Amino acid sequence: MDVPAISTENLTRRFGNLVAVDGVNLRVVPGQFFGFLGPNGAGKSTTIKMLTGLLAPTSGRIEILGRDMVADSVEVKRQIGVVPEGMALFGRLTGSEYLNFVGRMYGLGRSVASQRAAELLEFMQLANQPKALVADYSHGMQKKLALAAAVIHGPRILFLDEPFEGVDAIASGTLKAMLQRMIARGATIFLTSHVLEIVERLCSHLAIIHRGRLVAQGSLEDLRAGVQAHAAAASGNGDQPIAPAVPSEKLTLEEIFLRIVGGSRISEGELSWLG
Amino acid sequence: MAGLTVPYARSAWTESRDQFAAVARLRWCIFVNSARTLRGRLEAVSSVLMGVLFGLLGIGGMFGLGLAAWYFVSHGKAEWLALLLWSICLYWQIFPLMATAFAESFDSSNFLRFPLRYRSYFFIRMAYGVLDPATLVASAWTLGIFAGISIASPILLPWAALVLAAFAAFNILLNRALFAWIERWLARRKTREILGIVFLLLIVGVQFIGPLTARLGRQPHRNIGRYAGLALRAERVLPPGLAGAAIASATERRLTVAFASFGFLCVYGAACLWILDLRVRSQFHGELISEVVAPVAPSSAREKRHSARVGWDLPGLSQPVAAVFEKEFRYLSRSSSMIFMMLMPVVILLIMGIGRTAAMGPHPASPSPHSHPFPAGVWHYAFPIALGYALMILTNLIYNSLGADGGGVQMYYVVPVRFRDVLLGKNLMHAAILIVETVLLWIAATLMFGGVPLGILLATLAALIFAAIVDFAAGDCLSLLSPKKMDFAVFGRQRAAGTTAFAALGVQAVVFGLVAATFIVAHFFGGLWLAVVLNLALGALALAGYAALLSRIDALARHRREAIISELLRAT
Repeated sequence: MDVPAISTENLTRRFGNLVAVDGVNLRVVPGQFFGFLGPNGAGKSTTIKMLTGLLAPTSGRIEILGRDMVADSVEVKRQIGVVPEGMALFGRLTGSEYLNFVGRMYGLGRSVASQRAAELLEFMQLANQPKALVADYSHGMQKKLALAAAVIHGPRILFLDEPFEGVDAIASGTLKAMLQRMIARGATIFLTSHVLEIVERLCSHLAIIHRGRLVAQGSLEDLRAGVQAHAAAASGNGDQPIAPAVPSEKLTLEEIFLRIVGGSRISEGELSWLG
Repeated sequence: MAGLTVPYARSAWTESRDQFAAVARLRWCIFVNSARTLRGRLEAVSSVLMGVLFGLLGIGGMFGLGLAAWYFVSHGKAEWLALLLWSICLYWQIFPLMATAFAESFDSSNFLRFPLRYRSYFFIRMAYGVLDPATLVASAWTLGIFAGISIASPILLPWAALVLAAFAAFNILLNRALFAWIERWLARRKTREILGIVFLLLIVGVQFIGPLTARLGRQPHRNIGRYAGLALRAERVLPPGLAGAAIASATERRLTVAFASFGFLCVYGAACLWILDLRVRSQFHGELISEVVAPVAPSSAREKRHSARVGWDLPGLSQPVAAVFEKEFRYLSRSSSMIFMMLMPVVILLIMGIGRTAAMGPHPASPSPHSHPFPAGVWHYAFPIALGYALMILTNLIYNSLGADGGGVQMYYVVPVRFRDVLLGKNLMHAAILIVETVLLWIAATLMFGGVPLGILLATLAALIFAAIVDFAAGDCLSLLSPKKMDFAVFGRQRAAGTTAFAALGVQAVVFGLVAATFIVAHFFGGLWLAVVLNLALGALALAGYAALLSRIDALARHRREAIISELLRAT
């Protein structure tokens, strides 16, 4: 049996009295494009920070490619690439300098780092402003650069925290093309995003976290089947069954997500001053 | 869309007043909320302690200057008030430039998204400026002079209040205008180069002071008297002289001169206001001060080559250490604010050179032992003093070495690199800066003071090695314990956390005390060579401590990672 790319056991993180992540057991198989979803404040970013070594868990265990994240963190970090929430860019370097720097921090030789940096800048369409500082890049350019930095050492697992946030359609297309190419070559991608359409299109497997707890995990089909089974059981109890917007089609991820985590609509009387 | 319009009309004044109140409330909330954490409380304590230090300076100066003002006015020497006002003015303008670490700086663009009127925006900027320690101290000194004058001659109270208020307003406006314009000039390559040339010319110019005074000395009193007269006349038409003249003339009931002097002082204030207004108005309209020239379209073959340039190879250093060293160099070389600060020790040497010329007279090469206030040898210590100052300036960088990385600090936690390598790379860059500073200061000291005696040179270098290693060790710890986001691109926004500044001050006091002790021991027992040996021994001990610390620094970095990341990701 294959060693899982990512596995966690009772992963918990507390901030004072607040339990941000509560006993999460994740399992991601190598080669999966894994989407990690949840409403705001559910614990997505906290989880991804713990998985990438940016945050220490309060308790529980993390294994990346069979290695313990805490005990063997340097070896684990060699195998993973990360685009964290804040992108971790150095604003006062040029794009090329930044990629060179990151490449060398991952242990690449100078010439290899330089060659890969040039290729990545070209691929990400960032090569035409070689003297511009990262601080002067647009948000989309910064996202592309952060992704380029995360893959420069050829990681086996890529962690992406909201990679499509604030990115235009063109840049988004470039990012998706690159991610799909990585999946095709056997890499594992762990992604959080609020853009459910993108997650639905890209990810083969999903997990949903809500109030710190993992409330669903599996392939999209598994989740869909689970929700529908739950809906069928609910209708047997006299509750309103869930149905797709277009009856002949399957439930969308958005419908599945809302069904699992719940949601509220604005009521008539609220914010009436907004016009 | 009626619901999206402002529900009721309000006067401009009401709206502005509410906006000021909101900004004041914001500052208060930030202050109160900062006390929620231990670090915030430590910050508050260190701010109070720094406040006490500045308070002592302000109160001490207030009494001293007040006493002097009282003496001048009550003894019919009111024209000497100008001397006091000149000293205040020079402090007010020069201290903040030389110690930007103490200056209050904020990103005014934060407020531009709100419907602030220009006048309100200007007022808020000024209010922030008034909060800086130099302004508070200098205001206290001015208040002391006011009290001295009023006690000596109560009838002058309203007039002195008016004149000194105008003098204070002029200084505040000039100070703000200088900051705003220097920030602007340093942000553009061309003006930066011009400033650099002016600075170099100034250094070279000092070389001519000696020969010039010597020449004047050969054809004495007639010319000297003429030049002194000219200088005195120039002094009288400048703001401190005008403020002094306005009060002095009032004591002699020469009201026309008093009013005219006051009027000219106001004209100077108005001119500063106009100059400052030009800058603030540009910023109000959304000007972005950036160090880079706007990127131009295209990618020539040459630029593509630039893009594919390989990183530095530093013999004997691992890839990560060399990469961090190179990254630090690129950051610093793109920060004209930091370069400006690092040139300040040379300015100190320059000032000492001018002081020496003034004190030693026209023939510094053959001083008479009885005719000068300082023994000739004292000027040989200009080099160690300037080097000590260079180290003090660098503490801002050494003790907050992650500050400029901002959110980039996350990178150090996700790459397979030990934190000790990151800090070692940074410390090597700091050491390189110190070496460059040392060479620059040695050249400047050689040009201005005819060289540094070998004994003093070696003892100073040995002391520098000791002090620098202690600073690196303490700085690495404080960089992890109390980081604060810095912006290398903006003048005056390189301030470390208050706790860090205070701790750094303590470390410096101990280090400088130890170094001074070695010099004293050497003086009594065996000459400067003993100081060299003692400082090298201290340096060796410090090096052992530094190595031990580096081997444990990863645990501290891991332990502090959440606090470090959240602090450096925070918006300034």
